[in-house]
Amino acid sequence: MRLRSCLAVGAALHNVGMHCQGPRTFHKATPASAGALLVLCVACHTARSDWVVATAASLSHDDNVGDAHNHSDMVPDSSTSATLSAFDLLPVGRSLSLVAGSELSGQVYDRLDGLRNASIDGLLSLKKKWGIGAFAAWSRAQVSAARSDYEDGYRNVTIYRASLEMGKRLDERWNLAAGYNFERRAAAPGASEIYGVSNDAFSQTGRSFTANAQYALSDRMSLSLGSLLRHGDVISTALTAGHYYPLTDLKAAAPDPAFGPTAYAYRLDGTTYGIKLGANYSLTDHSLIGGAFQRFDTHARGGNNYTNSVPQLTWNYQF
Amino acid sequence: MLKNFIAIVSSVFFCAAAQAAEIRALVKDQKGKAVADAVILVVPVDPRNALHAHAPAAAVDQVDKQFVPYVKPIFVGSTIRFPNSDNIRHQVYSFSPAKKFELPLYSGTDAPPVMFDKPGVVVLGCNIHDWMIGYIYVSETPFFAKTGPLGTAVINDLPAGEYTVRTWHPNMDRTEESTIQHIALSADTPSVAEWQIGLKPTIHVPRVSGAASADYP
Ligand SMILES: [Cu+2]
Repeated sequence: MRLRSCLAVGAALHNVGMHCQGPRTFHKATPASAGALLVLCVACHTARSDWVVATAASLSHDDNVGDAHNHSDMVPDSSTSATLSAFDLLPVGRSLSLVAGSELSGQVYDRLDGLRNASIDGLLSLKKKWGIGAFAAWSRAQVSAARSDYEDGYRNVTIYRASLEMGKRLDERWNLAAGYNFERRAAAPGASEIYGVSNDAFSQTGRSFTANAQYALSDRMSLSLGSLLRHGDVISTALTAGHYYPLTDLKAAAPDPAFGPTAYAYRLDGTTYGIKLGANYSLTDHSLIGGAFQRFDTHARGGNNYTNSVPQLTWNYQF
Repeated sequence: MLKNFIAIVSSVFFCAAAQAAEIRALVKDQKGKAVADAVILVVPVDPRNALHAHAPAAAVDQVDKQFVPYVKPIFVGSTIRFPNSDNIRHQVYSFSPAKKFELPLYSGTDAPPVMFDKPGVVVLGCNIHDWMIGYIYVSETPFFAKTGPLGTAVINDLPAGEYTVRTWHPNMDRTEESTIQHIALSADTPSVAEWQIGLKPTIHVPRVSGAASADYP
């Protein structure tokens, strides 16, 4: 798992570096890689201020990576991800703190090479604690902007997120949180092939509500339950172009060669219900390993319903 | 004259040395394992035996976002400094009835010392790092000690006489009062006080917690 994470980070850096050389993505990838390097350098040099550096690696499997409706279009694959993040905590008042941070991540798929990607994310959040101590309720407003560069560059996307969260640790065992999230993914339009239909298939807008609970079984072991309700654009990829939707249901369509030469991605309006069951085990004060199972059930327009089952193994380390 | 003075000084010294008694304490848990960080309290039945005790200044440090030491026994009236050895800032507080206080966010040795003038247990926390927890035991008696990794502690230089001894630990499953033992200390032989206490499994706020929320794929 550790070797795989190194590979993922390596691939991520390689992706960013590789795209720097391509004329098309040069202007996008250079600021991203420069930003990543800057953040890491600043994090290292300001280790004497209130910086928190964390790293994570995960191994997951999705039985339907392309979010396909038909069984014959479903492509299962495994992926390895690695993340390095650095956050600076800037207390603003007695119970108000501003967090500015950045995250560099990479993801490598076993089979779907075109989906190999590297991302750089910058975020700013303001957290208010409604009292003093570990059991005070808190709320947080967060905005972030990320850039993800894919091996198959047509999927490159700039992601803007805004979220409002609140939570409370009830006692040493129970920790609850809920949030509202907005996400806008802006991608370049794909190659247009369907007359009268937008080819901007990889741009998405979505809003979601999440609610989570964590329960500590012991000092080291905890269980978690997360739920999600999302409404917005979904992208469903069919392996052949023969999957027709009524034009009123279809928001955009474009070729999606990462899934095969004849694959087509369709953007539709959909609602997703998700659930996550997880268990975490603290290896040390600074690290934990976790296992989780996520299940998503999406109902999109035009009868395009699909599910995803995503088992996942994670490792987190916080310096 | 000089002879008389030497005689008086040596007799006082001899009496004091002859009267110094010692308690050797041992604390074990329900499985017979040594219990570290248990506070041993030795209370003289005759309050005159605790006279002239002074309350020295002490410190509770913050190292790698933890309080060091985890348990700090002090004599009532002592002041404690909270130096911060980390290169990030901490915001130390206590809600405990024995001492409520809140230090503003600080680094280094900027925080003012805090005086603990009421006996009892003070639970320390940090408002920035929720997992940080520490204990100050404010003792009403000047005779106390804390057990080490072997579960042992020695309290010496005690005036001979009648005492009650008791123990306290943050995870103890019973009251301090239920651990009280009576001991008559004589100067020539050290006395032994032993306890077997049940420890409750504790759950601390985790330092690293995994994401509980579902990530839309
Ligand atoms: Cu702190």
